[in-house]
Amino acid sequence: MSVLIFMRTRRPVRAANKEKTRKAILRAAIELFARKGFYATTTKAIARKAGIAEGTLFNYFPTKEDLALYFFEEEQNAVIAWYGGDKQVKSAPLPEKLFAIVQRFLDRLAPYEEFIGAVYLRALSPTSKLNPVSLQMQERNLRYLRFIRSVLQEAEEAGEIPKVGDFGAYSFGLFHLAMITYWLQDRSKGKEATLAMLDRCLKISTHVLKKGGWDW
Amino acid sequence: MGLVTKLKANEGTVRRGYRLGRLGLSIVGSYVGYQAQNIWLGDDGRAARAARLRQRASRRVREELGELKGAAMKLGQLLSLQGQTLPEDVVRELAQLQMHAPAMHPSLARAQFKGSLGAYPEEVYREFQAVPFAAASLGQVHRAIAKDGAQVAVKIQYPAIRAAIENDFTLLSSAMLPGRMAGYFPKTLVDELRRGILEETDYHNEAANLELFHRGLSRLKYLTIPTVYRELSSDRVLTMSYVEGESFDEFLRRRPPQALRDLVGSRIVEVYHGQLQWLKAVHADPHPGNYLFHSDGRIGLVDFGCVKRIDMAPIVEAYRQRSWRDGPEGERRILTFIFGARAPLARARQFIPIMDTQADILFPRGASPVTDYRNPKIWDALRSSSEFALRNKLIAPDFAFLTRADLGLYHLLHRLGARVNISEIWQAASHQ
Repeated sequence: MSVLIFMRTRRPVRAANKEKTRKAILRAAIELFARKGFYATTTKAIARKAGIAEGTLFNYFPTKEDLALYFFEEEQNAVIAWYGGDKQVKSAPLPEKLFAIVQRFLDRLAPYEEFIGAVYLRALSPTSKLNPVSLQMQERNLRYLRFIRSVLQEAEEAGEIPKVGDFGAYSFGLFHLAMITYWLQDRSKGKEATLAMLDRCLKISTHVLKKGGWDW
Repeated sequence: MGLVTKLKANEGTVRRGYRLGRLGLSIVGSYVGYQAQNIWLGDDGRAARAARLRQRASRRVREELGELKGAAMKLGQLLSLQGQTLPEDVVRELAQLQMHAPAMHPSLARAQFKGSLGAYPEEVYREFQAVPFAAASLGQVHRAIAKDGAQVAVKIQYPAIRAAIENDFTLLSSAMLPGRMAGYFPKTLVDELRRGILEETDYHNEAANLELFHRGLSRLKYLTIPTVYRELSSDRVLTMSYVEGESFDEFLRRRPPQALRDLVGSRIVEVYHGQLQWLKAVHADPHPGNYLFHSDGRIGLVDFGCVKRIDMAPIVEAYRQRSWRDGPEGERRILTFIFGARAPLARARQFIPIMDTQADILFPRGASPVTDYRNPKIWDALRSSSEFALRNKLIAPDFAFLTRADLGLYHLLHRLGARVNISEIWQAASHQ
């Protein structure tokens, strides 16, 4: 009986603590990645900075790739949460909504550009967990794709675009990946070329969806 | 040269690339086509054909440019300023073009702002209006309240417009310069246009212009020129004090009395002459949208993206004195000044009757030396310069510029219905 009570009360606390440690590790890692780079940062250094034993670090994140996965997940969650609360964007036309979503993402990623670049390179390896078709990545992307689908659905219901369903969400997901690649390569001031590209692509694709074609 | 106009919806941005491609063949193409035919057609056919082609060309230009954005629009406006190289009908169409730039939606404007200044607008201003109140040719203008409580105007440039302009010029040069047509679109002129527009994409230049004009024209107490907030400006963002005033149309709608029209007209001329004499630089965009008016005669002047550094005072002085009447040396001096040392003097000399007419209109002599801008004949007299130059293949970019500025001024003063003693204003300015 007492054991049961103990477990009931302690479990949420323990879970919350775990989450706290997880976030502390991520913060430490991200800071090191941003400063020293993804490859040059050792797990030992991350553990030291997070104030935990290296062994404990492995309990949370077996590899640096797992850290990167967690990072993206957190970023996605943050963008999804922001979208729900931004009235101006929520009431904007579809191209602006999608622009704001991607831009928000890029804006958050901006301090960690080098790290993102390294992760992207790593993701090209078929055996990497960061590969877009890896089980781990798909799992995380699914949540994001569901979010995008809901945004597209709003536009479908408002008559802004015809029904595009899952296909629309998947296409946008790929476009989003491509835009991050473009952004990583963008050497223009303030990455304005990415802004122009993003804006233009979204306007063109919405136009095509609306009119069912393109006046070449 | 941001023509301040109401914004239109985002329509048409997407077709830009495609349209530009076609534009290369229509604005340039049809005009070049006309010039090509000009070479073979006899005089009779030439006139009719030219009129037809020009009409078609100007309609096309309007259709095409009307839906085009930033770079090409900018180009159209600048071509319209360079009246010498395009036929007058086309120029007039171009001059009428109002900016229907694609509004950057709030999310894009914010992102571009942050990309340039490192912070979002709401972080650096007390208040920022996400919806712009005016379009400028290379960007759009938002109202905001600075942290110190001052009303400001914030101009934000379209992302990557510089690259777009460079592409346009590559396209233009390649479409423009085949064989003998090159004479009508000399590379120097295209390069000059390119340089001017690209310079305009750096708002640091505009900030410097604003400061120059602010200082140089401060003695004109009725004139307001925005002040720059340097710490809230960059190459692509420009924060300025907000200038109050009515638009030209609003001002005219109140049916101002003749005395006020004359006063405002004279002041506009004085502002212009002050630039020519004191600054040796001219606000290159005499579009009504760049002036703001008050019913007590005060004037605001905005948008200093396109400023031309130019010393035209000797020409104005020569016109005032009719210096060409002093004999062959006087003739030679003014003609070389206008058309350059290498221009054939015999051909250039045919310009003298035109100068006579223009001088009598702008600097009339006699008991009442006043130019009445209500007289529509002034337009013909002024534009005959560009026609002459075009017909005789005499290229004088600086003079063409002056002519355009005069035409722009005429346009404004004609609609205002002002009577102005230009000579008196010029002399008064030269004594200050």
